[in-house]
Amino acid sequence: MSIDITGVNKLFGDFVALEDVNVSIPTGQLTALLGPSGGGKSTLLRIIAGLDTADTGTISIEGTDATKLPPQKRNVGFVFQHYAVFKHMTVAKNVAFGLEIRKKSKKEIAHRVDELLKLVHLSQFAHRLPSQLSGGQRQRMALARALAVEPTVLLLDEPFGALDAKVRKELREWLRRLHDEVNVTTVFVTHDQEEALEVADEIVVINDGRVEQIGSPDELYDEPANDFVMGFLGEVTSLNGNLIRPHDVDVTTAPTLAGAVQGEISRMLRIGFEVRVTVLTDDGQEVQVTMTRTHARALGLEEGQHVWLTAATGATTVPTMAAV
Amino acid sequence: MVREPTAVRWLLRIVVCAYVFLLVLWPVSLVVAHTFENGLASLQETLADPEVQNALLLTAQVAGIAVVINLVFGVTTSILLVRYEFPGKRALSAMIDVPLSVSPVVVGLALVLVYNGQDGWLGRAAESAGYYVIYDTPGMIMATCFVALPLVIREVVPVLTEVGDDQEQAARSLGANGPQTFWRITLPSIKWAVVYGVVLSLARSLGEYGAVRVVSGNITGETQTATLVVQEKYLDFAQDTAYATSFLLATASVLCIVVVSLLRPKESST
Repeated sequence: MSIDITGVNKLFGDFVALEDVNVSIPTGQLTALLGPSGGGKSTLLRIIAGLDTADTGTISIEGTDATKLPPQKRNVGFVFQHYAVFKHMTVAKNVAFGLEIRKKSKKEIAHRVDELLKLVHLSQFAHRLPSQLSGGQRQRMALARALAVEPTVLLLDEPFGALDAKVRKELREWLRRLHDEVNVTTVFVTHDQEEALEVADEIVVINDGRVEQIGSPDELYDEPANDFVMGFLGEVTSLNGNLIRPHDVDVTTAPTLAGAVQGEISRMLRIGFEVRVTVLTDDGQEVQVTMTRTHARALGLEEGQHVWLTAATGATTVPTMAAV
Repeated sequence: MVREPTAVRWLLRIVVCAYVFLLVLWPVSLVVAHTFENGLASLQETLADPEVQNALLLTAQVAGIAVVINLVFGVTTSILLVRYEFPGKRALSAMIDVPLSVSPVVVGLALVLVYNGQDGWLGRAAESAGYYVIYDTPGMIMATCFVALPLVIREVVPVLTEVGDDQEQAARSLGANGPQTFWRITLPSIKWAVVYGVVLSLARSLGEYGAVRVVSGNITGETQTATLVVQEKYLDFAQDTAYATSFLLATASVLCIVVVSLLRPKESST
């Protein structure tokens, strides 16, 4: 295991930021810390980097106890949400910073900077100032700067959070490819479940300072440990006291299956290929169902129609808790 | 922007210009006019006067040392105020503004109370160890430091706050220790604020009169700075010398202002 976090607690005043967090992050993988804003995931990342300290608990990186080490001795690369570029230095100087601190030879630095700028596609901007770059370019520069020191782990704090949707999507695909190329143990914080599901090998779901579940994207999506994880990873609706994904609800226009819930279509909304159907069940609950336009048309659904709802075979369901 | 009627705009311009002219430009230009009434003669004569030479040298020395002390202390205090949390931080921040609101004469008297050789409780100890503070250069440097104390800090603190500590944290994570982070990241990002603060302190230190007057004892040829010489010469009816020395002081201050205005556009372009 590359990073071992054991029994970490952190208070800000009387706000519990982290409560008894135990996580092991595997070597060479891309791990996402996923959770809602204010859930403690950034704090955990900063504690790993040494930018914050835990009240109790230990952090070990590659087998060495890093709990008491200052950030400059942990050999981690950190990428900030708002880039934290060195404004008074050129792009090349920014990337060279860590190497200059490590007193590498001029020739070696020039070679490595060249290599890294190529890797992040910024070679032609080497002599510009960061203020002349776009947000996405700045973040790629910050990434190159962090990678320059050959960190044992690379930590990214909401790296694409300040970028617009299109650039964000491009960069996350690019990050995945970059990781496959460089293969450094990477941990990134995000509140975007799609980003985590798309990019990460492993996801740690953090909410209210606690770890809710750890697993691969498939495991989390298919076998959520509780209603929070189920609800956070995708849309849910409630059918028969269970949480279920709206696309996992089967609709029939006649009562064919035992245990089907009877109701009336109260609304239909079409968005492109998708149709969102709201069914008001006979016991007064609203159930959301999504299906393709083609499927809806084949069934001949329309508002006011009586329908019977069942969970699709193999659908993931979680009993509804008081929290939802 | 709302455009005022033309008449109002012209009226405002005239009022402001007249105000600045009557208050600043005209009096200062009279000093220059008086200095050069007899060509360069009065200036040359003044510069040849050993009392004036001594005073100018002392002023440069006192102001120079005070500025260096305020620079180091000011930058350190600014970082302390912006980057760290500690009990009494607000009190410290308020105390730094005291020199702006307290009359320099009071500052001088206060320093005399603490450091005089007869009954000042730090002064006696210092004098028995052979250091003279009051009526000597150290006291004058202290007085000058005191009055110019907030100038560097008040320039640097807002810039430091605005820059934030992201870059410093990034430097730390890249392996830089405290001093490396300061010299390579923090200082370059507050560079212009520091320069501006230094220039302001220099101008203030050169022109300090009240506090220095009290602590120096105003001993001619020994603890007399340029401003004190101006006052003495003026009272001694050596008005030519007084005007010429004033001219030199004013020139130094104007140079400071010119330097600042040359620096300002650079600051906004980086």
